[in-house]
Amino acid sequence: MSLKLSSTLNTSRRSFSPPLFFSNVKRTPISNIRIPRNRSVKSFTCVHERNPEPIATTSTKLQLLVSEFDSLTEPIDRVKRLLDYAAVLPGLDESGRVQAKKVAGCATQVWLEVVMDERGRMRFRADSDSEISKGFCSCLIMVLDGAEPEEVLGFKTEDLTEMNVGVGVSHVGIKAGASRVNTWQNVLLAMQKRTRCLVMKREGKVFAGCNCFN
Amino acid sequence: MEAVVPKLASFNLLNPKSKSKSAIRRFSSALCVSSSPSVTSTDSVSLGHITRPDFPILHQEVYGSKKLVYLDNAATSQKPIAVLKALQNYYEAYNSNVHRGIHFLSAKATDEYELARKKVAAFINASDSGEIVFTKNATEAINLVAYSWGLSNLKSGDEVILTVAEHHSAIVPWQLVAQKTGANLKFLNLNDDESPDLDKLKEMLSRKTKLVVIHHISNMLASILPIEEIVHWSHDVGAKVLVDACQSVPHMVVDVQGLDADFLVASSHKMCGPTGIGFLFGKSDLLSAMPPFLGGGEMISDVFLDHSTFADPPSRFEAGTPAIGEAIGLGAAIDYLSTIGMQKIHAYEMELAKYLYENLLSIPNIRIYGPKPSEHVQRAALCSFNVENIHPTDIATLLDQQYGVAIRSGHHCAQPLHRYLGVNASARASLHFYNTKEDVDEFIHALNETVSFFNVFK
Repeated sequence: MSLKLSSTLNTSRRSFSPPLFFSNVKRTPISNIRIPRNRSVKSFTCVHERNPEPIATTSTKLQLLVSEFDSLTEPIDRVKRLLDYAAVLPGLDESGRVQAKKVAGCATQVWLEVVMDERGRMRFRADSDSEISKGFCSCLIMVLDGAEPEEVLGFKTEDLTEMNVGVGVSHVGIKAGASRVNTWQNVLLAMQKRTRCLVMKREGKVFAGCNCFN
Repeated sequence: MEAVVPKLASFNLLNPKSKSKSAIRRFSSALCVSSSPSVTSTDSVSLGHITRPDFPILHQEVYGSKKLVYLDNAATSQKPIAVLKALQNYYEAYNSNVHRGIHFLSAKATDEYELARKKVAAFINASDSGEIVFTKNATEAINLVAYSWGLSNLKSGDEVILTVAEHHSAIVPWQLVAQKTGANLKFLNLNDDESPDLDKLKEMLSRKTKLVVIHHISNMLASILPIEEIVHWSHDVGAKVLVDACQSVPHMVVDVQGLDADFLVASSHKMCGPTGIGFLFGKSDLLSAMPPFLGGGEMISDVFLDHSTFADPPSRFEAGTPAIGEAIGLGAAIDYLSTIGMQKIHAYEMELAKYLYENLLSIPNIRIYGPKPSEHVQRAALCSFNVENIHPTDIATLLDQQYGVAIRSGHHCAQPLHRYLGVNASARASLHFYNTKEDVDEFIHALNETVSFFNVFK
């Protein structure tokens, strides 16, 4: 039996065009973004200060992300896009990659840092030993970084399955469900749990199961 | 009723010139092995090619257009049509509760269930079918030994020897029982060849050792251990041996009398049988002395309000309605495997193992775990590996989504082993007799492209 082993993979160097989310924008690591003074903002996105873009809501950001991935029909293209997102994630240094910040339940190692800024909005940083997981984290942070706690807590994993990326999700968009390798779900749940913890801490309450490390 | 039970058969296959699917199906579903025609497989047609038509699940495309290449057999095996038909036939023709009823269906169900037990006994050369206890799976079987034999035989200061390479199912039950009894768990490390250090095992064995829990074939290292010798050394100090044969029973001849194992466990779903059924082999005298594990119907003799008396083994350890259809399905799987012949399966898989290993070595910056194969050292047909700077889950994801190649990534229920090797996770490709060299070729090709892809992106 002859086997056609033609290459299906374009291993040419990666695209240097930033993800759609960052179009018309210079890549700016999240940690270097300055919040403009004397401006009331509900949320912020990664924008270059010389080209102020309209502030996007969480919902808008999600829709942009979904439509971006929707347009990529081949798995390899979705993975490439995830790797592009991984590349713009600042990551954590050694002091951040600690057990206390680990996200439970992932097949890869994922570390997550959650803080509430002075305006009461949630800020996230993440890292992983897997590039695809970093990409997932990057996407989640794109959508949720700077959001109000209620927006973070109201976000559902079903919102992510439309993106049709990742382990356990088929072309027909079947929900990845409770598989142990569902990074999306585990990271989002960790974001939400730690957000809940910080909210309660702010209100002077204790959340059962909270082991706030910040 | 006299049962026709194949005993470690090694029969030749159908004439490969008549490879029609229906011919092979008829042959495969034959229960009476002695009536099958004998043929010789030619060099150009491997066992994998001959048996593939029997496994409908292998003939599909995933993600719409990618031909499935299933290389995750150490996690679970696929089932031939004969097993699927046995299950369907049970539920269509004679489903009934066993052991208690007196009507026609119940008698037939009981006969077939007990025939399945006899088939398991014959398959591993147990001297009596009463030495086979049906369980949900190997994990439950190990727990049975731990909670029944362990709790009544271990005391403070006693030692149980395991290896760092054991599956979680072989470790955790003993941790729980050690906590209750005060026994100590001792773990055997690996030698320089990444196989359990058997010289060290001899040193560790002492009069304090009451039990050795050890795998026959490692699901990550692919090492194949000399169980007969290990049992001999252990018995010399008065220790019993529990063999985890999950990765060996499906792939080679396992003879519990030859090994002189005290306990041996395996799962049906790894040997072409259905999920939900497995078995514990235990020597008769050991089982007879063991108290019940789970309590309920079937395992009793008389029940009073304040106490009960219990049945003899194996019933003593089979509480409640068993997985009847599944046991019968396991029996059909054993028939199917025996028709091919475990020696033939083993010989073919050793060829595949060599082919897989040698081809994997060609991947740049790859690290394959476990012993290096040589004239004296055989490996099972599986390879756990890592490629430098690329997470195994990333590799497995792309192999799956872009190429339809199914491998596993993670700790393979062997976290202590991964910790010992200094890695968080590994990828694993594992073969069975229905895989072909072409499957390996496609895997290697896909892996090469995947590695190149990630290297470019970095």
